[in-house]
Amino acid sequence: MKSSHAIEINGLNKFYYHKKGTSIQAVKGLSLSVPTGQIYGFLGPNGAGKTTTIKMICGLVRPTSGTVFVNGHNVWLKRSTAMQQIGAVLEGTRNIHWALSAWDNLIYYGHLKGLWGKRLAIRAEQLLMEMELWDRRKDLVRAFSRGMQQKVAVACALIADPPVILLDEPTLGLDVLAARTVKNLVVRLAKEHRKTVILTTHQLDMAQSVCDRVAIINKGQIITDKPIEELLDLFRKRHYQIKIEGNLPDGADSAFKDLTVEQKEGFTQLSGTIPDQVSLYDTLERIRSHNLILIAVNRTEPNLEEIFIHLVDSSSTQTKQGDS
Amino acid sequence: MKTILIAFIGEVRKGLLINWTYKANLLISLLTLGFIFIGIAFFMGGGKMESEKVTSALLGYLIWMYAALAVNDLSYGLRGEINAGTLEQLEMSPAPVGWLLIARVTANLIISSVQITVLGIVMLLLLGIRFPLRLEALPALLLTMVGVLGFGFIIAGAMLVLKQVESFSNLLINALAFMNGTFLPVSAMPDWLVVISKSLPSTQGIVVIRKIVMEGKSLITTWQDGSLISLTLNSAIYLMIGWIIFTACERVAKNRGTLGQY
Repeated sequence: MKSSHAIEINGLNKFYYHKKGTSIQAVKGLSLSVPTGQIYGFLGPNGAGKTTTIKMICGLVRPTSGTVFVNGHNVWLKRSTAMQQIGAVLEGTRNIHWALSAWDNLIYYGHLKGLWGKRLAIRAEQLLMEMELWDRRKDLVRAFSRGMQQKVAVACALIADPPVILLDEPTLGLDVLAARTVKNLVVRLAKEHRKTVILTTHQLDMAQSVCDRVAIINKGQIITDKPIEELLDLFRKRHYQIKIEGNLPDGADSAFKDLTVEQKEGFTQLSGTIPDQVSLYDTLERIRSHNLILIAVNRTEPNLEEIFIHLVDSSSTQTKQGDS
Repeated sequence: MKTILIAFIGEVRKGLLINWTYKANLLISLLTLGFIFIGIAFFMGGGKMESEKVTSALLGYLIWMYAALAVNDLSYGLRGEINAGTLEQLEMSPAPVGWLLIARVTANLIISSVQITVLGIVMLLLLGIRFPLRLEALPALLLTMVGVLGFGFIIAGAMLVLKQVESFSNLLINALAFMNGTFLPVSAMPDWLVVISKSLPSTQGIVVIRKIVMEGKSLITTWQDGSLISLTLNSAIYLMIGWIIFTACERVAKNRGTLGQY
């Protein structure tokens, strides 16, 4: 089956059953398509179902129902071919052998994917050069810094030149410099190597700056799946920053509980999403009714973090209302 | 097929390289196993070294070492891979994981052979005992290892599902040493224990190898007297059951989502 999508997921469900007869649905009817050559941010709070979904794509967790296709190959029915399409760096694990050198790790993972001989050696050399690890190729990986180890893990995921790369929290536990290295690497994978990258991260500024498209998952369900610019645009029109002279008087906070209130030097800043003009005038009326002096009203550029929090909160509220 | 073969070679190479990195551990385990045997040899002879008993025990002990080191690798080794997150990478190979575990055992067999040869020579020199080296014992040893591999598959499968099985694996390995005829002849065991002993993966291997090495019998003779047939059947059954259990456990772990959890 040929497909223009690197990943196609249809109606994916995953239940985890417990010994006492209870079960948890980690993923609920998830469907998504990841176009070839894009960096796809797969975001969500802890326990949202990101890692379960990533592992179902990698064939490490069996779905209760639904299908996963990688470059047109069904992960469960054509496992061997599907696995040749994927390279992955999984969350919270080393992914590589610390008792082997960087070079031997690359050779080993190349062998695991069926690469051999000169072709493998050339590819390993090319990747180590690119990761700036060539001079340390013979050193055992356990002697490397966390950032260098992560670079080796990414290089191992790339050794067989797979079209799809899955990076589950690749910057977890990295310092600022190492995280920046990984971030640059992710961009290079898509832009220079034409890879499709699925990225999960809690660093939303990174997701905003590198992703072409973003899906947000909460409680096992996709709550949005849009190109990043489209998502930002949706909120761009609705995000405001209002400045009021002095501090808010006691009790006035509750009138603006839908906004973020920050006391600054000499003024108070209210910021957040105001969905329409009626609500904006309503907010301004509340300011007037408290006899507060308005300094400025600005429409601001939203960031992914605020959108993420807004969407996840809304989705959680809807779920609670649905449950009650 | 080519991919599977390359992955197999890669896994063997990795096993050899990692063991080389931990060569000091190999040396220490070799010394430990050597001291244990010397202690047991004196114990068996009531404080003396009885050449005939010790020769037979040494042969059994060396075969048990092969089994112990292979099973250890499939329990502690796999546990290490789970902890490091490399097992999940192994599972993402286009090659079936079962084949890669066979490759692990192959690497282990190569390393064990070096360890056992060194230990065997030291023991022969130190204890002043002799037994002829007969290449005819090699097929019997490999057949024994096939059964051990099946046994290892059962342990590896249990590791994927139950996780904390190292202690149980230790228990089984130590039980093997005393129940597979290494030190105590199977014929001297009570009837109920004989049944258990004969069903263990290495017991029949020790019987056949002793016949070839110590009694000078040929492979054909051991086939004709039925002992080699028993060994072949025992190993084939272990391999088959082990493979079935391992693949079933792998499926359970993937269903539960616990493959890489520890």
